[in-house]
Amino acid sequence: MDPLRAKLRSIWVRVFGVLRGRRAEDEFQDELANHVAMHTEDGVRAGLSLEEARRQALIRLGGVEQTRQAYRERRMLPWIEELLQDVRFGARMMTRNRGFSVVAIVTLAIGIGATATAFTWIDAVLLQPLSGVAEPNRLVTLETVTANGDWVPNSYLDFVDFRDRLKLFDGIAVAHVSSFSVGKEDHAERVWGELVSGNFFSVLGVKTELGRTFLPSESGDVPGAYPVAVISDRYWRSHYGADSSIIGKTIRINQHELTIVGVSAAEFHGSIPVTSFDVWVPYMEQTVLNGVQEWMLRDRHDRNMLGIARLKPGVTFEQARLELKTLADRMAIANADVSEGMSATLMPLWKSPHGPQGLLVGPLRILMGVCVLVLLIVCANVANLLLARASVREKEFSARLALGAGRGRIARQVLTESLLLTGCGAVLGFAVTPWMSRALGLLMPPGPMSSLVSMDTRPNVAVLGFTVGICVFAALIAGLVPALQVGRMNLSTRLNAGGRSGTAGRTRNRLRSTLVAAEVALALVALVGAGLFARGFQQTLRIEPGFDPDHVLLNQFYLSTNGYNLAQRKEFCRRLEERMLAAPGVTDVAYSDGVPLGFEPSWWEELKIEGYAPRPNENMNIFRNVVSSGYLPLMHIPLVEGRNFTVQDNENAPAVMIVNEAFVRRFFAGRNPIGAKIHGWGDWFRVVGVAKDSKYHYLGESTPAYFYVPFRQVFREDMNLAFYVRTRGDSDSVLSTLRAQARAIDPSVTVFDAAPLKEFIGASLYPQKVAASLMTVLGSIALLLAAMGLYSVMAYSVAQRTQEIGVRMALGAQPAQVLRMVVRQGLALTGAGLVVGGALAIALGRAVASVSFTNSGMGANAKLLGSGANDPLIYVGAAAFLCVVAALASYLPARRAASVDPMQALRTE
Amino acid sequence: MGGKTDVWQGTLALMVLKTLQLMGPQHGYGLARRIEQTSGDLLELNYGTLYPALLKLEQEGYIRSRWGVSDNNRKAKFYELTKAGEKQVRKAAAEWEQTTEILSRFLAPNAEA
Repeated sequence: MDPLRAKLRSIWVRVFGVLRGRRAEDEFQDELANHVAMHTEDGVRAGLSLEEARRQALIRLGGVEQTRQAYRERRMLPWIEELLQDVRFGARMMTRNRGFSVVAIVTLAIGIGATATAFTWIDAVLLQPLSGVAEPNRLVTLETVTANGDWVPNSYLDFVDFRDRLKLFDGIAVAHVSSFSVGKEDHAERVWGELVSGNFFSVLGVKTELGRTFLPSESGDVPGAYPVAVISDRYWRSHYGADSSIIGKTIRINQHELTIVGVSAAEFHGSIPVTSFDVWVPYMEQTVLNGVQEWMLRDRHDRNMLGIARLKPGVTFEQARLELKTLADRMAIANADVSEGMSATLMPLWKSPHGPQGLLVGPLRILMGVCVLVLLIVCANVANLLLARASVREKEFSARLALGAGRGRIARQVLTESLLLTGCGAVLGFAVTPWMSRALGLLMPPGPMSSLVSMDTRPNVAVLGFTVGICVFAALIAGLVPALQVGRMNLSTRLNAGGRSGTAGRTRNRLRSTLVAAEVALALVALVGAGLFARGFQQTLRIEPGFDPDHVLLNQFYLSTNGYNLAQRKEFCRRLEERMLAAPGVTDVAYSDGVPLGFEPSWWEELKIEGYAPRPNENMNIFRNVVSSGYLPLMHIPLVEGRNFTVQDNENAPAVMIVNEAFVRRFFAGRNPIGAKIHGWGDWFRVVGVAKDSKYHYLGESTPAYFYVPFRQVFREDMNLAFYVRTRGDSDSVLSTLRAQARAIDPSVTVFDAAPLKEFIGASLYPQKVAASLMTVLGSIALLLAAMGLYSVMAYSVAQRTQEIGVRMALGAQPAQVLRMVVRQGLALTGAGLVVGGALAIALGRAVASVSFTNSGMGANAKLLGSGANDPLIYVGAAAFLCVVAALASYLPARRAASVDPMQALRTE
Repeated sequence: MGGKTDVWQGTLALMVLKTLQLMGPQHGYGLARRIEQTSGDLLELNYGTLYPALLKLEQEGYIRSRWGVSDNNRKAKFYELTKAGEKQVRKAAAEWEQTTEILSRFLAPNAEA
């Protein structure tokens, strides 16, 4: 055994020496007693008296107690022993001051629990966006950049160019979210999945639970040549009972048989963070499954693929981005007809603007900030409590110092006690984290995407580390201040002051006053924040969407998934419209591609407008909707000029278009838009009408240029189909009629996601709703904590002054005067806090007001805070509210002090 | 204390190990007496320091202890060398011999320059 190992072994044994405790001590006592006895016997044998022999034996030993002490120090590490003492003592102090401990622990638990919850989410969304993939740190999102800098998905051809020509990447894959209907016609079930490039799994490095992923031979670019599928572990368990013979069997997707080749590993949920998919099919099967025409796959305009790339080891993000940009810029020149001015870029996975996490990032950042705020208040609270405690214990500490304890030892005692408190708080806080996470889950987006959204909210090791970090941080802050105070204590003045504690220690009072003021400031910031977000949310709710969502039932059909071709789909819609119009209670029927204010992305078309010369790099991708002639009347969107679409605007008639007012303002300044010619989808459209502006993506958006084209002229295989029915009364009642009528036309059709339009468009409010609810909850917590802190400190300082108050009253002060004095002092502190907090809140309000919650092209101007960021009412209201709390917190203890009999007060010592 | 020497720092461990190697299992008191005898009563051991030293050796794994019965029928804790201890004795002894040899060259009266 080499010396180092021997040394390590001994440290190890000593650490565990703590556990053997009493028994080892007793054993050594026996051994020593034996030693002395044997030595004495020898002495007696040598002719000494028993007494003398024993005396000699003890002298040679050097004292029993000293030997035992030396032995004990060797047996375990002394600091562990002292720590144990401190912990034991601290625990005793905690149980003795139960009220103090409960307040401190609960305060800490709330702060730490809230922060841990926020971090669980942040971890899931931002830090580990994808699970079940190999080396996620080398994975990045690949986005196409439009001429004016918006991020959009990629086209398949662009992907092929990227895949084949970029050298600094191990691989580039693309995925397209798709809903499939799985099973036989009559009991098909909707399943969300991804249409992916064949190399998808190998680029991501996904393991399988069973079978294999797609082979290189299945990764080609031949449409319809790869009838295979990989299913998720979740789907395999829920639908096949984890049957291991599933590989090689077929799964019926959109009425086509695909062979299941593998089951993905349980941790893998797909390529979009916070989202769980169940089926993956090669993108080239689009032609078979969705009836998409082959030319569409070869259309660079068709930008609907989310790109994900793996950097080669050792390649930096910047190098890779540069290579991609160089290639994309070259491609933009080579394909100038479709891609002029476009480029491509890389970004970390969490920055991807697509999918739920794109909406979550903004609120989560704010959430994190608020949690830090709450935690600061918690620390101030606990520090205050510990400070107050420290002055009660001054006498105890003075006595210990006088008995020879080192200042360091006492400071360490205080630190241990605060660590013990924070430790209890952290354990409790951590225990409630899972529940808090689940409560946060209630805020997840509503609507059809909700079944898709899944987040691992189980706290993991990283969260544990984070919480422990916060805990230690809180303990250090909360414990350090009182510990420093103790260390600085002047022993003689302390003892001489004869226990008249509290009135002395001006520095300590100043420190406590600062903490109270700081707490008030932080509470004001939290309260103003909550007010601003709630206000912003309220304002948004009051914004008129520009259409009338009441009494409208929205249904989404996934006809393409039923093996329909384009003509069949149009025919289905026409016949269903006819039948529904004849149903009782129905006033309007319409259908469209996109749903306004929905959760799913909106699409655009690149336009050329006759008579309008775009500025260089101007983004001419204009958002659009493909609608039936009944759409605008059903939505109650009035036409300001021209006419609506009619049934005559069909495939054989000249192409027509309706634009909104913003469109006219942007492209037809002063000109008459009616009759103007606009180019899109390879065709020239004639403008026949101008519709009133409404909201399209977010209620808070500044209205973009927007246009409508007739369903029958533009509808394509890869578009969605939303069906609207307006009723006279309750819209729910018509659902069964709709189901029956749809079945009557085609028994195999299933209606998915039927919901009142009013509920559905609530999704557009999601980010603001989350921000507002979180701020309200956390604002209340902050307020509660600050009030608790304020009250406890006020009550404590008044209690300390009981004697002084007694003297004042004995000298003739009236209770009312005493009351006024105490409350005035409390309010002075609060006032100081409010001034600082007000400045801070205004600055923060300005900063947050400029945060937009999404960076995708469709809502660039939508802000989390409405225009209310500078609403003085909120600031004044919050300040007044805190004043009331502070007044109450000082009034109650003051009244108690003033009602004390002066004689009684004087006697308290 | 009348011509007797204190034990030098660091040498006690080697004395303990060597004594245990020669004498076999010993209790603390016996060990102390043995060391003093071996030194020709030139050493004066502070018995109180012996026990922490024994504990250290045990923690390092060079010796182990167990309760047994002494010659005069007293229950006592016996210490004995472990395998690692045997090795350590050889190693430490060799090191010590080398050190003393080097030192003796310096101290020899007719040392060459």
